[in-house]
Amino acid sequence: MTNTPKSPDSHLLSPLHLSEQQNTRVSVSKTFQDLRSYSLLVRQLSRVEIRAEFRRSLLGLGWMVLVPLVAVLVWVLLNQAGILNPGDTEVPYPAYVLLSTSVWGFFAEIYRACSRIQEKYGRLLLMTPFPIITLVAQAVVVHLIRFAIPLFLNVAVLWLFGVRFGLAALLFPFALIPLLLLGTGIGLLVSPLRIVVADISRMADEGIRLLMYLTPILYSPKLEIGILSDLVAMNPLTYLIGFPRDLLTNGTFFAPFYFGFFAVLSIVFFLIAFRIFQITEPRIRERLIAN
Amino acid sequence: MEKQPLIQVSGLHKKFSSDLRRGLLHGAQDMWRDIVSPSRKNPGLRKGEFYSLRDINMTLYSGEILAIVGVNGSGKTTLMRLISGIYNLDGGTITSLPGLKLTAIFALSAGMQPLFTGRENIYIKGSMYGMTLPEIEAKVPFIESFSELGDRLDRPFGNYSSGMKARLAYSIAMATNPDVFIIDESLAVGDSAFKAKCMDNLREFVNEPGKGVIFITNHIRKILKVADRLLVLDKGSVIHEAEDVGAGLEFYINNCNKHLGAEMQKNKLAVIKSYEL
Repeated sequence: MTNTPKSPDSHLLSPLHLSEQQNTRVSVSKTFQDLRSYSLLVRQLSRVEIRAEFRRSLLGLGWMVLVPLVAVLVWVLLNQAGILNPGDTEVPYPAYVLLSTSVWGFFAEIYRACSRIQEKYGRLLLMTPFPIITLVAQAVVVHLIRFAIPLFLNVAVLWLFGVRFGLAALLFPFALIPLLLLGTGIGLLVSPLRIVVADISRMADEGIRLLMYLTPILYSPKLEIGILSDLVAMNPLTYLIGFPRDLLTNGTFFAPFYFGFFAVLSIVFFLIAFRIFQITEPRIRERLIAN
Repeated sequence: MEKQPLIQVSGLHKKFSSDLRRGLLHGAQDMWRDIVSPSRKNPGLRKGEFYSLRDINMTLYSGEILAIVGVNGSGKTTLMRLISGIYNLDGGTITSLPGLKLTAIFALSAGMQPLFTGRENIYIKGSMYGMTLPEIEAKVPFIESFSELGDRLDRPFGNYSSGMKARLAYSIAMATNPDVFIIDESLAVGDSAFKAKCMDNLREFVNEPGKGVIFITNHIRKILKVADRLLVLDKGSVIHEAEDVGAGLEFYINNCNKHLGAEMQKNKLAVIKSYEL
């Protein structure tokens, strides 16, 4: 047996990118560089996510239209039965619910997708390493596509309900950005917790569900119901959902100061959450063995 | 031709937790430490933790196929995941030539989509390896030819046999044209003709300048066929290094049977030799 030299002349060697990066923080510029280098993977994974879901379905993408349609029909029926007292809404109640649930879904679905990134793709990352930023980007891309398709239907239904859109409605997609960042940020914080502290992630899931009842989705923000009204007034989602909704339906600005305030907070929150997600991600990969 | 070191591992340590709940607690603590105090050193062994790898030193040189053997749980895959950048190091260093391109296959079909055709999966898996669209398109003819799948490339991947899956996945990995290729038990499936083709291909691959292969397997015949050097891992430590691969394998087999008496050990080696060699 011949022993291999243990300390070869290492003048050709320089610190390996892998070892350098593994135990240090991933820089912002590296994140953007990774996103650019792996843009094809973002496209491929987005395509897989959307097409795989409907590939074996006869209705295919029709499900994207059918599900919100059924939801609004249920609420219209409940309204006609006089069960609901939604408070004063400036547009017909079914139109109000249709749009509100859709905007709520915009928030809740991106939370759901981002909060499960490591649970869903962790094993794959152990087998085929690639930058996790691609999975975040894919979650956002898929989410936007899934939201855009029923949104066109919603706009058509709103038109039938007599809602007329002004020029301000064009700002609607931009007004959704803070909501997207807030949902993504919360999801990215919950994602690692889902692996190491499952109790907290479960609480977060329940919290998001509870938050829906504290947000004027099925009722008007003007509805006076004691302490609930105070909670609604303190809830950032009241403004982050109410502002784009009013922009689209009335062309008015709902509580612009609070919207601006919470929008800035959402951006800051997202940046912090994304950084924490990046820092903790390698630790989570190691713990995936136990899952 | 002088051998050039491609990857060098020095004093490498990696620890894991043997207890699930405690492991998750340590995970939460580590996450918190990484967020608030990233410069703090890794703590030593905590309750419930063990060293999966301890003081590993190894070098991969250009032009060689380095085989790593060890019983299940000896730390082979953990070592490869550390070299591939999947896990954080708990101690030691890994160095390499600047800009070294590394492709690792831990499971051939990982990331392949069963509802999509083999051809579609070339793009999916290729992009996971970091290839761009023009790079993949340029390599499609090579993948078609190397995998020998013919028109079966346009069938859903989920309908492939395990051998067909291995053909496609290995061909895609080869198409990435890395400097270092890590193969972790991935060539155990597939028909004999294709496996032989892969072995020949690996030999041709390392004959190119600046290329090397780390080959993890417990298939003795495959190691004898292709390896230039052997490393034996046991309980997270390198216990043997050999350029005489046959002798190294004999050491490995004897080490696996060290609990047996000398006579039994000899008999066992004879049985394995007659079966495997």
